[in-house]
Amino acid sequence: MQSFVAETSVPLAAEPIFHIGSFGVTNSMLAGIVIVAIITLVFSVAAAKSRIRPESKLAYFVENLTEFILSSITGNFGGDEGKARRFLSLFLGLFVFILLNNLFGLLPGMGGSVYVESGGVREALLRPFTTDLNGTVALALISIGTVQYYGIKERGLFSHVRHYFSITTPWWNPMNFLLGPIEILSEIVRLLTLAMRLFGVIYAGEVLIHVIGSLTGNFAWAGTVPAILLEVFFSFIQAYLFIMLSSVYLAIGTTKDDHGSELQSSAKAKRAGASELVSSSV
Amino acid sequence: MQISPDLIKGITIALGAIGPAIGLGLVGAAAVNSVGRNPDAQSKVLTMALIMAGLVDAVMVFVLLIVFSVK
Repeated sequence: MQSFVAETSVPLAAEPIFHIGSFGVTNSMLAGIVIVAIITLVFSVAAAKSRIRPESKLAYFVENLTEFILSSITGNFGGDEGKARRFLSLFLGLFVFILLNNLFGLLPGMGGSVYVESGGVREALLRPFTTDLNGTVALALISIGTVQYYGIKERGLFSHVRHYFSITTPWWNPMNFLLGPIEILSEIVRLLTLAMRLFGVIYAGEVLIHVIGSLTGNFAWAGTVPAILLEVFFSFIQAYLFIMLSSVYLAIGTTKDDHGSELQSSAKAKRAGASELVSSSV
Repeated sequence: MQISPDLIKGITIALGAIGPAIGLGLVGAAAVNSVGRNPDAQSKVLTMALIMAGLVDAVMVFVLLIVFSVK
């Protein structure tokens, strides 16, 4: 039986390149370390060169990127820019890391053409961190863990747990005890969908490029160009989607239930819109 | 009688593509409609539509993942 080319050329799991003790360092971890080094370098150079009157193009670009992320997540926090600034470093880091990893996978030499051989099996030396399910689950755990940590910190442990069991208005309504576990389950589903969406789109993109490359044969250099352009688009969309959804979860998870001024109720209405976005995504 | 796994894979992709295709059509139609009503809000609507398109695409991707992971 002839199988899809993807099953042999792009394995689902990341392969270990070398071992430290019994801990296998996979090719996706190597790529992740490379990307982290690049991000650290670029951002520290940009921070050193940042001036009130822009002199360096790099610093100007990084400042613009930071402001773009800040304005995007400020909307999700109901216009509260102070709160958005508190979490800016997390979301900026996530965005840049995911975006660079997605784009890194499109460079030449990434799809297994630079490889190491172990036991007669070709293993790609570098593989984007986001095409490894372990990597995307780790990223999703960071963002959902932040939601839980700040939810408990801002509300207190008791009222954070109570929040899950107070969907219907009178607290003694027995429906709360049925809806509570579903709410807790939805928290886990959020984690899974965040991880699976990012992994699935980027991994399927790699596979798509491989399949089109093998279908077009000698003309793969021309045939894969539209697929690669599509992947560039998806890289941006997925990185943006990841931080938008994480910030919406964080905004919902850290709200306090105090009824008061009109400002708060309008912020609440905004959050209700945000929660609709979330429920449609789940 | 035996059924080739390739047939199953093909049918899975075909059926799994229907839903997201309809969903993407709805997202696009709604976006074009709302820009037609309110042309000033084009950039906001575009961002929202792209986010929704990303969410809808994920469904298709889950199907592809299942197809790729089944031998």
